[in-house]
Amino acid sequence: MGYFGDIYDVSKSILTGMGVTLKYFVNPKTITTVQYKRPERRGEGELHEVPHLPDMHKGIHYLETEECIMCWQCANICPVDCIVIEGTRDGEVEGAYQGNRANLTRFTIDYSLCIYCNLCCEACPETSTCIHMGKEFDFTSYDQGSLVKNLLTDEKFTKEDLRFTTNAQSKIEELAEEKKRKAAEAQAARKAAAAAKKAAAAKKAASTPDTPAKKD
Amino acid sequence: MLTGLLLAAGSAGRGLIDLDLTSLPLVGEMLAEHPTIAWPLLMLAIGCGVVIGYITVFSLLAVYAERKISAFMQSRLGPMEVGPYGLLQTAADGLKLLAKEDIIPRDADKLLYIIGPIFVFTGVWLSFVVLPYGPDLIVADLNVGLLFLAAVASIEVVGVLMAGWASNNKWALFGTMRMITQLVSYEIPIGLSFVAVVAISGSLSMQEITLDQQGWFWNWYLFRNPFLFVGFFLYFIASLAETKRAPFDLPEAESELVAGFHTEYTGMRFSLFFLAEYAAMYVVSATAAVLFLGGWCTGFAFIDSWMMESAGFQRVLANVVGLTSITIKAWFLVAVMMWLRWTLPRIRLDQVMYVCLKVLLPFSFGVLVFSTLWELVTDGTLFGDWWPLFQFLISIGGFGLLMMNFMAKERPYDIEADFRPLRHSEVHAAPDAGARG
Repeated sequence: MGYFGDIYDVSKSILTGMGVTLKYFVNPKTITTVQYKRPERRGEGELHEVPHLPDMHKGIHYLETEECIMCWQCANICPVDCIVIEGTRDGEVEGAYQGNRANLTRFTIDYSLCIYCNLCCEACPETSTCIHMGKEFDFTSYDQGSLVKNLLTDEKFTKEDLRFTTNAQSKIEELAEEKKRKAAEAQAARKAAAAAKKAAAAKKAASTPDTPAKKD
Repeated sequence: MLTGLLLAAGSAGRGLIDLDLTSLPLVGEMLAEHPTIAWPLLMLAIGCGVVIGYITVFSLLAVYAERKISAFMQSRLGPMEVGPYGLLQTAADGLKLLAKEDIIPRDADKLLYIIGPIFVFTGVWLSFVVLPYGPDLIVADLNVGLLFLAAVASIEVVGVLMAGWASNNKWALFGTMRMITQLVSYEIPIGLSFVAVVAISGSLSMQEITLDQQGWFWNWYLFRNPFLFVGFFLYFIASLAETKRAPFDLPEAESELVAGFHTEYTGMRFSLFFLAEYAAMYVVSATAAVLFLGGWCTGFAFIDSWMMESAGFQRVLANVVGLTSITIKAWFLVAVMMWLRWTLPRIRLDQVMYVCLKVLLPFSFGVLVFSTLWELVTDGTLFGDWWPLFQFLISIGGFGLLMMNFMAKERPYDIEADFRPLRHSEVHAAPDAGARG
């Protein structure tokens, strides 16, 4: 490749490259970016939809409330401890979400912490698969505090929700104590019954040798 | 609005429209009392305002255009958030720059640091003095216009040297060194392209060069002879380097030098550099339009003759047509510059020097010598009045042949011959095969 050959090649490759960029410039179909539609520019209830989102997309979680058994597997395995679960399996709290097994007062995920690792969904026991990662990703806010999502209502965790959970706490404790007391009572009753049985048995055992003496 | 102001000032100065500046309340008194001082001062004030406004508006639009063009070429959308389709994005950026804190580094040479950007901006700003926009729209039709243009463009070098040296920053210094090397080298091919044009026009005045290209578009210097056709491309490549546009943007190579000579600059001082860069793009494009593409001439003989003959209100209209014509040509060249920037990668410094000294320089000399010889031999009228058209066809034909050559299909790969694995004897016969192990 000589001097003029180089110049020829350079001119040719520059024009070829310009042809490629021109092809992309004039064809609007090549644009792959999807413009984000801000919530304030959307209509009421309109969602920001993204075409071609894959099925395995790991977005905002959703919860099948009635399936949850409050086993805390997801909260325990969470590497960033962003899941908070409160509730009871001992009875019914007024205003709480009644599931098949548990009564939930709070199930929140702090998305300022969440790393979308999918571990919670994997840890969820197969008998009651309740937490899933959905396709929704549009969960923005102007301050960090309001990035907590209430999975029971599928909305942001509000102050009223917090008040409710705080109030429900005492009820849960009450229920727990009641259950404890009942359990203790039941145990005491069982103990008493067992003791009575034992005593009865002992009495019987003690009285048995007397019988032949009586006979005698 | 700015265009209107420019038009009004230009027309009023030449008495074309009925606008009597002496009847204005305050200005009129001054004009009446000190006519020799007040008139030039007034014209200067209007000219300064118009040029600064023009540069600002052009930069705002050009930055927006550049961001959009780059986005579309990269399958993106570009700025979309501020205003409809992001139209106000550059205005918002400008406001941000204005509001930023002005920092002067502690160890900087304060005086040089302050006047550096002013020098750079002034150099570009002065170039607008000799750019013609219409039959009457020119700030000053100097008889050494082209020389003036080349001279004020060199002021930028001094300003950059001041800024880079005074910043007391390694990146800034390296950027400055690269930039000075590049600017000083590329002035030679640019100057030779100027000379090649001047040899044909016989004048250095921008207005006369434009008037020489009137009539049909094959009268433009671009098609004047095949050598000037090449000369246009040489000038365009050299002007890319002169305005530090890609692929010659080594002075500001982000990956190596942060931002080059203006690394330390913030706020308004930085925006002066920024404005100067974009204004320089416009200046070189408008200069290319004047020298090769007929300036404010439209390329149609009947419109051009009407523009020169019209009077009164029609003359104002003719100026508008001229302004539109040169603006379209300059904008087209600016768009090509952006197109090139987002196509080509940055080249190495030695390659930059190679392109200038070993390719552009001999070719520019060739263009100068051969286009002058061509003019001497053909004398502009070899086949009568239609000679310019023949010359146009020669240039376009040559260009078309080259393009067809580019488009021609390459020889398909011969699998047997091109990708044949090397034989054992061939590998071991290579002289440095043993050294490679």
